[in-house]
Amino acid sequence: MSRVTNAVIVGAAQSPYSRHPPEGTTTGSVLADAFVRVLEATGIRREEVDGLGVASFTLVPDRAIDLAWKLGLRPRWLMDDGNGGVSGIQLIQHAMRALDAGDAETIVLVSGDHFTREDFTRLVDNYNRTTAQYLAGIPHGGPNALFAMLTRQQMERHGLERADYGRLAVAQRRWAGLNPVAVYRDPITLEDYLAAPIVVEPLGRLDCVPVVSGADALVLRAGGDGVRIRALRALHNWDGQEGDGLQTGLSQIAEGLFADAGAGPEEMDVVSVYDDYPAMALAQLVDLGYVPDGDLSRFLRERIDEGRMALNTSGGQLSAGQAGTAGGTIGLVEAVAQLLGQAGDRQVSNARLALVTGYGMVLYRYGGCANAIVLEGPS
Amino acid sequence: MSLRVAVCGSCGKASFPPPFLCPACGAREWREEEAASGTLEAVADRGEVRLGAVRLPQGPLAIARVEGDAEAGAEVSLSEDGDVPVARA
Ligand SMILES: [Zn+2]
Repeated sequence: MSRVTNAVIVGAAQSPYSRHPPEGTTTGSVLADAFVRVLEATGIRREEVDGLGVASFTLVPDRAIDLAWKLGLRPRWLMDDGNGGVSGIQLIQHAMRALDAGDAETIVLVSGDHFTREDFTRLVDNYNRTTAQYLAGIPHGGPNALFAMLTRQQMERHGLERADYGRLAVAQRRWAGLNPVAVYRDPITLEDYLAAPIVVEPLGRLDCVPVVSGADALVLRAGGDGVRIRALRALHNWDGQEGDGLQTGLSQIAEGLFADAGAGPEEMDVVSVYDDYPAMALAQLVDLGYVPDGDLSRFLRERIDEGRMALNTSGGQLSAGQAGTAGGTIGLVEAVAQLLGQAGDRQVSNARLALVTGYGMVLYRYGGCANAIVLEGPS
Repeated sequence: MSLRVAVCGSCGKASFPPPFLCPACGAREWREEEAASGTLEAVADRGEVRLGAVRLPQGPLAIARVEGDAEAGAEVSLSEDGDVPVARA
């Protein structure tokens, strides 16, 4: 099959997500833990690592070079990426070219955050300058209210009720129960979902990701055995924030992505879509062509509720947790685990192709970034 | 009592918040127009405060603090609290 790069992903690991991390935890310490774990998982020695990519909101004022120093690396390739929900695929987009070009042979990508309460408040009010200048003074209280408005508009357009979104939350929690490192693993029912406290109508607590401390890591090599990259496309700021926010850049790249992959959406064995809110997970699935008739309610009943689609099989951010910027890598870590047959109790049988998306970076009213990747397991 | 809206000096396209370059034609000269009122298209109630998406007569959608009990569909008058848009029924 066609292939956009000779680079392969040889392994993935997570520094366990935690709602209440031990005293002394720092962003650097969780990133370092993910780095150590991914080397252990892949059997690669630290001395072999000649490239480092880092994505984090809270590592400041440190950057990738500070982490490289404290990990004892001497990288030939070094990159910071601050683009939240698209940072994982974005770093791969750069790393695979660097590997193809010979700039490095073994690249580790780490992403993650540890938030104190003050860190989180600061991030919410200063997410970008537009937020600080035009939203924080409302006070908007972070993205929940913005996505509450988007969710309500999606409900009206597609004739959805709160319970429809609940099907996604319940299904992801079912997967999370099979993932030993998900922060929320106890099964929930639709009744539990509907009874959860309202955050901002129509969003309830189970529509909002639990903020955790943690980090993810991936290792890429210039060639050899591993998970192959069949396609990768990105389109950021596709509508200049002038749209309704319910269509993402994925709507413009899906056709080319699947053409590059030589496989269509229904041929994906495992799918991870960026799930900051159920409404945006659904918007991306529509953009990708999973709901050709636009009947989201039926899609949720027949594909998600009945477990016919392996979607966000780690539990996603909604149940496994959002470790800040690691939210842009959690889907990749899960897809790699599934394609390498390392997903334990939640292993999807014969998983060969996986689709992962990134979405995010709320510029003003909604996320301005989108990217997607198709991965293929070793034969 | 109104909201300042950036309008491209070259092609007349309105933007909120103001960008550096006009998204339509790339020009960087701006003039300021005032939006005295708009239409509330969506509301989010945070309890302590309500937010709304307000369609400005010039076209852009602004996120505003909504004072009073205006609901989606209502005409609202616009003002500014610092740089923050404020909408009132
Ligand atoms: Zn213009």
